[in-house]
Amino acid sequence: MNTITIKYARECYRVAGVIVIAVVAAFAVASCVTTPKMASGAAEARDKLTVLQSNSKLADMAPVEIREAEASVLIAEQPVGTDAALSKHRVYMADRKVEIAMANAATRYAESQRAVLSQKRDQVRLDARTREADRAKRQAAESKLATEAARVGAAAAAADAASNKAEMQRQIDLLKAEATDRGLVLTLGDVLFATGRSDLKSGGNGTLDKLVAFLNEYPDRNVAIEGHTDDVGSLEMNQTLSQQRADSVKNYLLQQGIQPRRLLASGMGETQPIADNLSASGRQQNRRVEVIIKNPPSTIPTASTK
Amino acid sequence: MLISLLINPRHRLYVTAACTAVMLFLAGCATMPTAPTASLEEAKSAIRSAEKEDASRYAIAELDEARQKLILADKAVVSEDMILAERLAQESIVTAQLAAARTEAKKAEAVNEEMSRGADALIEEMQRVGDQQ
Repeated sequence: MNTITIKYARECYRVAGVIVIAVVAAFAVASCVTTPKMASGAAEARDKLTVLQSNSKLADMAPVEIREAEASVLIAEQPVGTDAALSKHRVYMADRKVEIAMANAATRYAESQRAVLSQKRDQVRLDARTREADRAKRQAAESKLATEAARVGAAAAAADAASNKAEMQRQIDLLKAEATDRGLVLTLGDVLFATGRSDLKSGGNGTLDKLVAFLNEYPDRNVAIEGHTDDVGSLEMNQTLSQQRADSVKNYLLQQGIQPRRLLASGMGETQPIADNLSASGRQQNRRVEVIIKNPPSTIPTASTK
Repeated sequence: MLISLLINPRHRLYVTAACTAVMLFLAGCATMPTAPTASLEEAKSAIRSAEKEDASRYAIAELDEARQKLILADKAVVSEDMILAERLAQESIVTAQLAAARTEAKKAEAVNEEMSRGADALIEEMQRVGDQQ
């Protein structure tokens, strides 16, 4: 029993040994066969070809060239033994064939894109024309709108002018001014001044304030201020007094912010009475300051006849 | 006479010598390689057609290489290495073909670029006009 077991085990070892030797020999033979197989550079050509073949955009573009390249690569991959020059030649040929296939595929791909490109260009052109047409339409609409606006504006301006005119008339009425050849004449009564005095009394300033408002509203109107007196006292004294009264009004207007170049003050003395100096009421009327609001250079005088 | 040629040992020697000479001559003819004329011609025409496609502008390196290979092939013919000559001629052919192929590819690319540039320019112009609005 025991001896049989030992015999069997020995047999097993022998078989295993044979198998190991056989496997080692097989590997040795295989390695001898595979090692010199590929020419150097053939693998690179194969890689390039594989890249081209797996590019879905390009692979279908040059089927004939790819087939030729494939054949060349296969030749390059064949073992050549010790003929290094032949191996080099085959690799060179394979590489060039692959490159030609790549270039042709690229050309045809570019050509295939042209339809898309020209379609895109046509689309752009169409868009351009559409936009141009739209713009023209819009411009037409805009110009129509502008015309309309201008018309409305003109009407509004006319209305405005009319209302301005009405407003001016209202202000002139408010001043109780009188339209004359020289312009609007506003007479400030003697209530402003005491006899022989040139300083303004505080009570009469309501009229002057209206004048200031008017001058502010119509900055193109200039003003001449003329002082007048009654015949009480000497001529010289009355001349001086009338000048002082006119200056007084001018100063008041200056204080209210009216520009000096718009104001001219002069004393007329007792030379231009508007009533007789015999009665107290006549003398009172003669003691006055006239403010002449001059007509603007280009405008027809606005007359108010009360 | 004929019989004497075969029988006479002296004559037999002549015949043997003559036969050997003929055979040697024939053998010489057989191993003497012929120039790869067809391949050389093909290489020349491939280079010419690449030149016609303006390869000197788009693929000058490849064109030059093809010319160089052809020159080397001619030299190999002169030195009677016909195998080398044939290989160089073949290499010259494929390189000239590559020069032509790359030239074509570059031209096609240029056309496409021009087309898309035209479209882009138009788009840009439209946008500029739009901005001015």
